[in-house]
Order: sequence, then C-alpha cells, then structure tokens
Amino acid sequence: MKMGEIDLILEAKNISYFVREKRIIENISFSLQRGGFYCVIGTNGSGKTTLLKSITNHIELSSGVVKINGKPIKKYYQKQLAKEVSIVWQHNEFLFDFSAFQVVMMGRMPYQKLLQADSQNDLEIVKQSMEKTNTWHLRNRSIKQLSGGELQRIMIARALTQESPLMLLDEPVSSLDIRHQFDIMELLKKINKENKTTIFIILHNLSLALKYSDDILTLKDGHLMHFGKTRDIINKENIQELFNVEAEIIDKDNIIINK
Amino acid sequence: MKDILWYIILSLIVAGLIVLGLFWGSVDVSSLDENSIYIIKNIRLPRVLMSLLCGAGLAVCGSAYQAIFQNPLSDPYILGVSSGASLGAAIAIILGLDIIFFGIGGFAFLFALATVWIIIKIASVGNRLHTTTLLLAGISINFLMAALIAILMVLSSENMEKIIFWTMGSMSATKFSDIWIVFLFVLIGIIIIRIYARELNAILTGNESAKSLGVNVEKTKKIILLFSTLMIGIIVANCGVIGFVGLIVPHIVRIIVGSDNRKIIPFSIFGGMIFMLLADILARVLIAPSELPVGSITALIGSPFFIYLLYNAKKQLNP
Repeated sequence: MKMGEIDLILEAKNISYFVREKRIIENISFSLQRGGFYCVIGTNGSGKTTLLKSITNHIELSSGVVKINGKPIKKYYQKQLAKEVSIVWQHNEFLFDFSAFQVVMMGRMPYQKLLQADSQNDLEIVKQSMEKTNTWHLRNRSIKQLSGGELQRIMIARALTQESPLMLLDEPVSSLDIRHQFDIMELLKKINKENKTTIFIILHNLSLALKYSDDILTLKDGHLMHFGKTRDIINKENIQELFNVEAEIIDKDNIIINK
Repeated sequence: MKDILWYIILSLIVAGLIVLGLFWGSVDVSSLDENSIYIIKNIRLPRVLMSLLCGAGLAVCGSAYQAIFQNPLSDPYILGVSSGASLGAAIAIILGLDIIFFGIGGFAFLFALATVWIIIKIASVGNRLHTTTLLLAGISINFLMAALIAILMVLSSENMEKIIFWTMGSMSATKFSDIWIVFLFVLIGIIIIRIYARELNAILTGNESAKSLGVNVEKTKKIILLFSTLMIGIIVANCGVIGFVGLIVPHIVRIIVGSDNRKIIPFSIFGGMIFMLLADILARVLIAPSELPVGSITALIGSPFFIYLLYNAKKQLNP
C-alpha cells in the first residue's frame, strides 16, 4: 500500500440485485475502511439483508462489483472468503443438538483440511473466543437450550474463531431485551477495538447506531440514501425522510421518537 | 477414550450376533457335520455378510440424508428413494436386464436418483426445503411406486415372485458374487460421506451459515446425494426395500454421541450392522421353518418409532 492511501477492506461499486423485474437494491456504491465500525439502517424491506448477502457472494449480483482486499469476491474460493469475512445471521435454527462448543469450533472450518482433526491451536482459539464473548461456561450446553442473548454471543464467538478481519452482522440484537442489546453492542465494540475487526452491522435501533457506530449507511427502497459519519447523518430531517416519523435528538446517545 | 470403549463393546455385540446368525436357524447345525458346514458356509454366511453391509450402508445413508435435507425425519425409505430404486429393479427384470452385469443395480440407481430429484423439486421453496412438504412428497412417491409396481406385477405375472421380493426386502437370495459389488459401493459411499462429515455438520446449521463458514454447499450436497443414492440403489437391487434402518439407527446414535457427523457415521456403521443382523435373525427364526421378509421386521419396529418421532417433532418442525 502506498503512503497516504486509505486502507479499504471492502469496496462495492454500482451493485444492483433484481429478482425478475423487481429491484431489491439498485446502484449502490460504498467502501469500508479497515478497522471501522459501520452500521446499516433502513425500514423493513429496504434491502439491508440483500445488501449483506450481495457483498458476501451469497447472491448473484445483477450488476456491479464487490472487492475484498482489492480482489473481486467472485475470484475467491468459498473457503478463502470465509477467512476474510465472517457473518452472524439473523436467524439461527438448530434442529440438531450440537453443543455450544461444537458450534463455535465450526468457525475453524475455513482453516481445516478435509478429514483433519481439530488441532490444539483450534482449541485455543475457540477457548479465547468463548472467553471474550463470556460463553466459555456454556460450552457443554446444547445450542437448542440457550437463551436468545446466549445464542447471539455464541454465534459471535463462532464468527470470531474465523479470525476474519471483517465481521458482518444481520440484526443481532433485534430479538433481545435492552440490557442484552447493550451487552452485545459493548462486546462488538470490544472486538472492534481489541481485534481490530471491521464491524458492519444491520441495526433497527437508532440509539444504538448513534452510540456505537462511527459510520452509517442508510437504505430506502433499495437505494443508498446516506453514507457518512453517524453523528452527522442521524438528525431530525434524515430520520423523517427514511422512516416517516418525527424524531428528536436529545444528546449524542439518545433519540426520542414522537410519532 | 470413552469412544474406544464404545467401539469395543459394539464390536463384541456385532461379533456375537455374527456367531448367532451363523449357528441359529431352522436347521440345527450344532453337529458340525458336512451338511451343517455347507449350510453355514453357503447359506448363512452370505446372508450374515450381506446384512452387515446393508445395515451399515442404510444407516450411514440415513444420517447423510438427514444432514442434506436438514431434517431429522429423512430416510431413503420415507422419502420414497428406496421405492424408486425397487421400481427400477422391477423394470430391469421385466426387460430381462438381469443377465447384464449391473443391469438391475444400474436401473435401481438411476430410478433412485430420479426420485431424489423429483422430491427436491417438489419440496424446494426458494433455496430451502420445506420439511412437511418433503415428507409428504416422499409419501406420495411411495404410493406412486407401489401402484406402478403392482401394475407391473399383474402385467408380468411370470416375474411376480421376483418382484415381490424387491418390495419386501430379503437377504435370502444372497450369493457371494453379489456381496463383493455391494461391499465395494458401500465402502466407497461410507468413505466419501465420512470425508465430508464436517461439512455436513455445518450444513445442519443452515445453508447460508454453512456457506459463510466456507463450505461449498451445493457441491457437497450433490456429492453426498450421489454417493448415498448409489449405495441405496445397489442395496435395493440386491436385498430389496428395507425401510427405517436409516431413520432408527442414526437417531439412537445421536442420543449417545450427539450430532457430530464425524462420530455419527462410525457409530451408525456399527448400529446399522447390529440392527440388520438382529432383524435378519428374527426374520429367519420367528416362524421357522418359514421365513418372514426382513423388510417387514424393520418396518414393524420402524413405523411406530417414526410415528413417535413425528409426534415429538411436530412442535419443533412447525413453529
């Protein structure tokens, strides 16, 4: 990298995704700097999850290019990509009874060859991730018996064991109570600071976005409306425009929604 | 360490059942005279070997299917794949293809594969498989296959007896020459499925989740379906339709070792062998000197078990 050049981990250029004639996202361009804490907000159906899937090769883009570390994602093998990007999905269904430990260990898969057993190094990384997410005591519990907050922390621990420089999360706190929402966000902030992991998180709660994220992307009807510093973008006019509600920003961390 | 102890216990049980299978039957062979040796060597030994292979193969196929379809109730029999294979075998017999090497096996495999394709097409919603639809698709395919086989039997009455054999399952016609080919396919199938065991674990957490862990989901599913269905085809071609082994064995194994397919597969091999040997011994001795089709024994144990699982799972599967 040349001096003075900004270190970009992900670049999306003019990406669009259409299902038959219907556009889900259209002509979105943005780039993420290494080490940043980004959040995405927008109404239901505005294309947030589609955006997440389209920048991780989970759906076939109709047009546009996504690059990670300067290399188009299409050129990555699935396994290579999993070393660069980890994802915490919104829905986690477990019909089969894995222990929390086994689920977190799956995060090591990108590094393991076929038939290779879990190494001492893998075990160490799993332990570290589970300690960091405060889930080591849950390691022998069945994944089916965890509470919502515990399950999210386990899924974040699994993403951590992938040791990827970029972590994407799809509404990880939507189904949690306020206390657990803060816990998860504090954890992500810690991961962002300590592991230098770039965080890209879809959120519904504007207060959390304001409190924790450095930068924000806002989506409406599949279009990128704003992209910039969170504190500049979350204001009365923009919230009105995006969600069609009256809002009042009380201070740096708090928003009151009137309507 | 605990696993090794399990493997020793399971091996001992298998060994005990092999001895039982060789020496217990409608004819008393305790004298070990020439006649008895002949019966043991040429009649009972092939059956015992075939039971071991079928049991192991069917049980491992069951666990593979459950992972691929992300559904604990999947099994080649319930999904209609075994019936599909038996229709293929019946058609091959009527066309007189049993004289060609691999004629029946090949037809059984192709029909099994076609059945898998049909049920996936029926049950796919987007890129997911709908659980209830999947089971209903399997049941409908079973009805359809049963009807087609019935028609074939009427139209080709001279082959009726041979075809009945395929619909009920039996080890009685086993010859040594068949065992080698079944052994080959079961061995290859199990090895391939074991190689992908970790990928199957990831698939059990969901397609997208597995993909984000670096698994090539589509490719893995295709490979596993191909090889497990090949096993089913070859087993059905030789022993007929034997149901529920792939459902019961992995289920019990999961209770003991959990959901990690790296353990489920070796344990299912043993579990399948034990279950199949027991079923075949029961089939031979229950109404001796006559014999029951082994498929009816597994179904007698399997259907109540399936109903029980269905009852337990209905809350979980239909939230």
